[in-house]
Amino acid sequence: MQPISSGQQLRARTFRSMGTVVSLTVASSTYAQTAVDELESAVDVVEGVFAHLDLTFSLYRSGSEASRLARGEMTLAYASETMQELYAEASEWRLATDGAFTAERPDGTLDLSGIVKAHAAREAALSLSALGLRNWCLNAGGDVLVSGSPGAAAHEPWLAGIVDPLDRQALLGAFPLQSMSALATSGSAERGEHIWAVGGTRPEFAQVSVAAGDIVTADVLATAIVAGGTRTLDQAVEKWNADVLAVRRDGTLLATPGFRNAA
Amino acid sequence: MATALASAGILLAGWQSGAHIAETGTATTTSLSSSATSGGSATSGSTGSGGAGSGTTGSDSTGSSGTGSSGSPASGSTTSATYDGASVQTRFGTVQVQVTIQDGKITEVTPLQLTDAERKSAQISSRAAPVLRSEVLQAQSANVQTIGGATVTSDAYLSSLQAALDAANF
Repeated sequence: MQPISSGQQLRARTFRSMGTVVSLTVASSTYAQTAVDELESAVDVVEGVFAHLDLTFSLYRSGSEASRLARGEMTLAYASETMQELYAEASEWRLATDGAFTAERPDGTLDLSGIVKAHAAREAALSLSALGLRNWCLNAGGDVLVSGSPGAAAHEPWLAGIVDPLDRQALLGAFPLQSMSALATSGSAERGEHIWAVGGTRPEFAQVSVAAGDIVTADVLATAIVAGGTRTLDQAVEKWNADVLAVRRDGTLLATPGFRNAA
Repeated sequence: MATALASAGILLAGWQSGAHIAETGTATTTSLSSSATSGGSATSGSTGSGGAGSGTTGSDSTGSSGTGSSGSPASGSTTSATYDGASVQTRFGTVQVQVTIQDGKITEVTPLQLTDAERKSAQISSRAAPVLRSEVLQAQSANVQTIGGATVTSDAYLSSLQAALDAANF
C-alpha cells in the first residue's frame, strides 16, 4: 500500500455475505493494537448487519422470508416491516426510472437482491457512525461507500479505482469520493447477464458506474442504466445528482464531468 | 454596467471579460441581445461583447425589450436582485435569461427560455459524453484505496484487485 500521509494507516478486514466479499477499511492514527481492536469490533457489527439482512432476503436460502414470498407461501401483507419497506422503496425506484429498475424478475418473481446489498451498506454506515468511526471505506462486492478521508489531511478523498470490464486486472479510471460518497457499478462481466435490458434486447453497456450521494441511489441508477441504455442514462443525470461512467460493449466510454480528467 | 447578451453562455463570457455591475442601488433591467448600461458607474468595459443590438436600461426602466425587475431597490451597500431579461428572437429561436445581481456582481444566470439547441448546450455540462480512455481520471491500483466494479462473486474475489488491496492493508 502506498503511504497515505504520515501517521495514518489503513487497515482492512473482510467477510463473506450475499454471495460476495465485503471489505471494511478504516483509517486510523491511534496505537496499532487499539486501532486493530476498533476495526475488528466495527467489522463484527457490519457483518451482523449484512448477515441479518441476508437471512431475510436471500433467494438462495429456501427458508428465508424472500423465498417463502417467492413461492407464494406468504403475501407481502404478512411480511416483515423491513421486507415491506424495501419493497416499497424498490417500487418507488421502478416508477422513478420508468421501469428500468425493477424488483421483479422477467418471470414475475419478487427479487429484491438488486437493492438489498446497497441497503445493507446504508445500514452498516449508520452503525459505523454510531460507533464513532469517521474515516472508513466499505466495499461490498465492488459497490463502495465511504466516510471521511483515508489520510491525515481531511480534504484528501478516498479514491476508488474502477475495474476495466474488458480486463479485470486493470483499472479503467478512478473517482474521488467526496460529496458523492457512494459508487456503485453494474454490469454483466461477473455474474453473467443478470440484468435484462428493457425490451429483452442485449444491454447496450457492458458496465455502468454511478457516483451519488447515497449508496442506494448509486446502485439503483447503475442497474437501471445497464437495463435502459443511453436513454435512461440521460434521464438519470438530469433527474439525480449523479456522475456516470458507462462502458459500451465495444469498450468505448461515456462519462459525465465528474469522471473526466480535470486537465 | 450590465452586459446583456444573446445567451447565458455568451453572457458569462462577457462577464468574465470584465464587465461588472456597479452598485447602483437601482433596479436594472437586463435586456437580451443588447448592450445595456445602468444608471451607475461602469467599473470596466462599457460595451458588451456579442450583443446583437443595443437595448436600453436604467433605473426602473422597462426598456424597449426589458421586462421589468423583481428585485428590491437597495439603498445600502448590499444589493441583491433578480432580473428577467426580455424574450429575444435569435436565429436559433427565442431566448430569455434571468440574472441575479448581488453586491454589484452577477451571481447567477438562469435560462428561463431556451431553444432546443440552447437547452442541449446548457445541459451538456452535466451530460454524459463520449470520451477517450485517456480523458477519464487515470489511476493505478497502487494509488487507490478501493476498487469499484460489477459485483465480485466470492470465488472471483480472491483474484481481484480489491483482494490485493485488502491483503496489503490487513
